[in-house]
Amino acid sequence: MNLERIMQVDRRIIYLFVAAGTILPIIFVIGLPVSITPPTQMAFDRIENLKQGDVVIVSFDYGPSSAPENAPMADAFLRHCFSKRIRVIVIALYPLGGLSEAVNELNKVVAEFPDLKYGVDYVNLGYKDGAQAAMRKMNENIHEVFPTDVQGTPISRIPMMKNVKTYADVKLCVSLATGIIGEWWANLVNAQFGLPVIVGPTAVSAPKYYAYLEAKQMAGLLGGLKGASEYERLVVDKYPGLAKVYATPGLYTATKGMDVQSIVHLIMIAFIVLGNVVYFTGRRKPRKAA
Amino acid sequence: MRKQVPLLLTFFAGIIPIIALFVPEKHVNTVSTTLDSWLIIVAGFALLLGVVNVIQMNTNKIRRKSSGWPYAIVLLAGLAIMGFFGFAGAFNAFGGIATRPDGSSTPFDWLYQNAFLPLQGTMFALLAFFMASASYRAFRARNVEATILLIAALIVMFGRIPFGEMVTKWWPLTTEWIMSKPNMAAQRGIMIGAGLGAASMALRVIVGIERSYLGLGKGE
Repeated sequence: MNLERIMQVDRRIIYLFVAAGTILPIIFVIGLPVSITPPTQMAFDRIENLKQGDVVIVSFDYGPSSAPENAPMADAFLRHCFSKRIRVIVIALYPLGGLSEAVNELNKVVAEFPDLKYGVDYVNLGYKDGAQAAMRKMNENIHEVFPTDVQGTPISRIPMMKNVKTYADVKLCVSLATGIIGEWWANLVNAQFGLPVIVGPTAVSAPKYYAYLEAKQMAGLLGGLKGASEYERLVVDKYPGLAKVYATPGLYTATKGMDVQSIVHLIMIAFIVLGNVVYFTGRRKPRKAA
Repeated sequence: MRKQVPLLLTFFAGIIPIIALFVPEKHVNTVSTTLDSWLIIVAGFALLLGVVNVIQMNTNKIRRKSSGWPYAIVLLAGLAIMGFFGFAGAFNAFGGIATRPDGSSTPFDWLYQNAFLPLQGTMFALLAFFMASASYRAFRARNVEATILLIAALIVMFGRIPFGEMVTKWWPLTTEWIMSKPNMAAQRGIMIGAGLGAASMALRVIVGIERSYLGLGKGE
């Protein structure tokens, strides 16, 4: 076989393989098994150890570009908190769609828990610009940073916010993050103010968070879609009632997304190995004299 | 004055939060948190500056008919439409910027759901195709360093999917070890280096050695 031709394969052939690897598992769901890694287990255990009525901040620090990875994390965290009757403060610090993502995911999950009351069990404080400054200021006074909720209701009129003024009144923060905002929660809010932080970053930025996790500056880590699918499994195993929700036809979940990601990973591994085999074979072959 | 006032402002804005971190004194803290409040407002103005810059750049592009100028019209139209509904929504016109209490979309939310979200999703999804093609062509074991990188990448890629565990239960454990030990050590090194660099740059700005942010001409 002509090695040069394999080396110079038309990129559209590679695209075709990736497209098939993406589309086919969506149509024919494989349901690959999900194993749990320690960072996800740590995150789950930390929330599991909270008591009913405890307050958690869920910060939407991502936009639509990374929503397929971050949104299932947000859903799983919200479902976990609401199943345990943990009160949730939703905020958004990411300018490119953080607020809309927060509204979408909160609306979707709240509809699954009809007995929840807005302002009592959860609240959406909306978006605030200047992420780092807002994070620092929230340690002094959350009410000053978010004087109203997303609908314009003054924060003083929201029952669950009456006794929640600073980080000292919050048990944990969960940041679903793309970019650097998740890092600020770990190296600014946790390091300076001591609030336990769990970050759910995209897979591409997950490696840097291991430095914070190993330094105990984070209470857990969900690395990309894999982390999200692990969390989904943990939540469903602990709260079997949620299995019905995750089995809803047409609902996008990380577990379904992992089927696609697994197949595409395999295709990429195959291409990398093939590329190297061809490269080494070509190097060993003696060149013909001109 | 044009030089001294910004330098003094920068000095105080930079030095106060540092002092506040190490001096737990009430008055110092009050000044520092007041600065934080100002920073939130200034960050808002930075967004406005960005908008002005985008408008200037793209109107110039259209006026000069530079390459790709029709896209500048699309960009400005998008900015104007989203900006209008976002701005009006902030004053509760059209039902705000989130969904309405009955669950229906406000114009801003509708535009987000039907234009911004699919466009951003498409842009990000294209990366999978480019990455597959690029890794086939460029990810080669050309030398020792590249071979180590390649082997680590293949172990992690395979270990992050269920097939790794199907081969052996040690595969995900090896992946996790690579991530939490060698990767963590390398990340720490990068972070410490970047941190030291940022600290030294901040010091240069605070004490007035670094002045390029003032935008002054030569000799000023």
